[in-house]
Amino acid sequence: MIGGQVILRLAPGAIDELAGDRVAALVSATNGKTSTTRLLAESLSQAGPVVAQPTGANMSTGIVMTLSESAPDATVVLEVDEAYLPRTVGQTRPRVLLLGNLSRDQLDRMNEVAMTARSWRRMLQEHPDVTVVANADDPMVEFAATAAGQVVWVAAGQAWTSDSAVCAACGTLLGRGDGTWWCPGCGRRRPDPAWTLAGEEAVGPDGSRYDLSSLQLPGRFNRANATLVLAATDALGLDPRAGLERMARVDSVSGRYGTFRVGDLRIRLFLAKNPAGWSELLDVMPPAPEPVIVTINSDYADGRDPSWLWDVPFEKLAGRTVVATGFRRRDLAVRLTQAGVDHVVIEDPYAPDAPLPPGMRDLPAVNCCATYTAFHHLRTTGEAL
Amino acid sequence: MSDPVVIASIYPDLLGTYGDGGNVITLRHRAALRGLPTEVIAVQPGDALPDGADLYVLGGGEDTAQVAACEALQKDGALARAAQRGAPILAICAGYQLLGTFFPDATGSPAPGLELIDLSTSRLPARAVGELVADPTDRPGLLGADRFTGYENHAGGTTLGPGVAPLGRVVAGVGNGDGTEGAVSGHIVGTYLHGPCLVRNPDIADQLLEWATGSPLTPVTEAAVADLRAERFRTVLGG
Repeated sequence: MIGGQVILRLAPGAIDELAGDRVAALVSATNGKTSTTRLLAESLSQAGPVVAQPTGANMSTGIVMTLSESAPDATVVLEVDEAYLPRTVGQTRPRVLLLGNLSRDQLDRMNEVAMTARSWRRMLQEHPDVTVVANADDPMVEFAATAAGQVVWVAAGQAWTSDSAVCAACGTLLGRGDGTWWCPGCGRRRPDPAWTLAGEEAVGPDGSRYDLSSLQLPGRFNRANATLVLAATDALGLDPRAGLERMARVDSVSGRYGTFRVGDLRIRLFLAKNPAGWSELLDVMPPAPEPVIVTINSDYADGRDPSWLWDVPFEKLAGRTVVATGFRRRDLAVRLTQAGVDHVVIEDPYAPDAPLPPGMRDLPAVNCCATYTAFHHLRTTGEAL
Repeated sequence: MSDPVVIASIYPDLLGTYGDGGNVITLRHRAALRGLPTEVIAVQPGDALPDGADLYVLGGGEDTAQVAACEALQKDGALARAAQRGAPILAICAGYQLLGTFFPDATGSPAPGLELIDLSTSRLPARAVGELVADPTDRPGLLGADRFTGYENHAGGTTLGPGVAPLGRVVAGVGNGDGTEGAVSGHIVGTYLHGPCLVRNPDIADQLLEWATGSPLTPVTEAAVADLRAERFRTVLGG
């Protein structure tokens, strides 16, 4: 991103100028930014060329590089870091803003969740002209999005509720049940959604149904991402069904879900950065007894404190052997011990003589879940297959 | 089979920001290693705290959640009664602060605490974030505890009253902010140690269980925990 830094130093207003009026949408969320942005870019490509960040670099330098390197007539879709979103909205004047979810993410360096929601709320009060496509099932997102001039509410689900237990407006513990939420203190409640994710289907405002089982990206969270994208596609005046056809062609996103050869093993690579992401990722692991690799690091980009391991239901991996690796493999080993999950601690599972669980070397691809720096290392040192 | 050790996990949705749920998991695990059955009651705000629990556990949380939790506990009253009868209480970070007389709310103004321990908390000049190592004090209140390890992430500095012993003396990190870390008063243990605390310091878990059951536990060392502790001390202190 050196180029981006140089541009911003020479021309601090470069993002404004390069954005012009071609930024169709910004995407922000704690989890799923990169995948959602990719799906949205695919969907919008039904109307012509669309440019998005190639690498998920979602702060000012990455954004200015993407804008400077794109054809001037291309539609632009950008993922934006949660903390950078308020300034980026002002700089790029998007027509649509897609807000997916908020949960804690490496709190040793990030704002608390409620602080982010408050900053988004102020941002939308200052930009009443932008149409917001927002997840109505996330009370923190709703708290921000309800301040917007126009909102398309999407019931995209919220599997992780621990970071929105309390009303962001009044501090009362929220009530939850029957797929909805409400505040007994101040009367906030989940808005009625225009779009709804229901199992394998998305349902539009006119009742039309979209079969999401055609998606190659796995998991409930990617069906939620796709439902938000259908709503955003519609809000931008394009055809959601044509968008879904294009989304279904995506099989990996910047290395996520991709297959790589690393040392002696073929792995399918999964990224999770925080307890909400990990919790959902464990649901898409193959059934036991198939062994998996879990890699935990605690570098700056991973968050220095891996105590979130205790918020993640690793019990879901029971019935198989987990290879615990990464710099914080010992923390993971204690977590797996107490979760009753059989495991082996291996510093380098890719070494030819690594004592892997029986059968692991014979798998067509070993599922490997990794924190950010571990993911990045495997993705860049492995051979993409 | 003996009666289960009843553990009240207090407002886990409000106070459980940094994996502090792992403390309850570890209490159950350490008890199970001795064949002791346990029962966990997860208490949500609005629910009454059980008066008869053998052990009470509070975790950390964001500022607004901390104030909400403190108000709910004040109204409920059962935690004060538990402290009165000497029931063991483990309180982490925001939970630790709210046991004192005052702690800073989201705006930094002092909010009234539960006054179960003589201590008070005000804002530190800079947020304390990072690994925390402390050695048990000479008058630890804990029997035979080993060096403490954890991860701290807080903006509060805590001053202990004259009758309250610190849990430890800081070797690396900030802790209470004056070279001490945590507090022990009767059977109440308060600390800034996340990690989670009891995962990385099973001695404290065992002490709480001994207080709860009134009988000594056979020592148990788990290799995976010993490896983790050694690796943390090596990383933080070198050598």
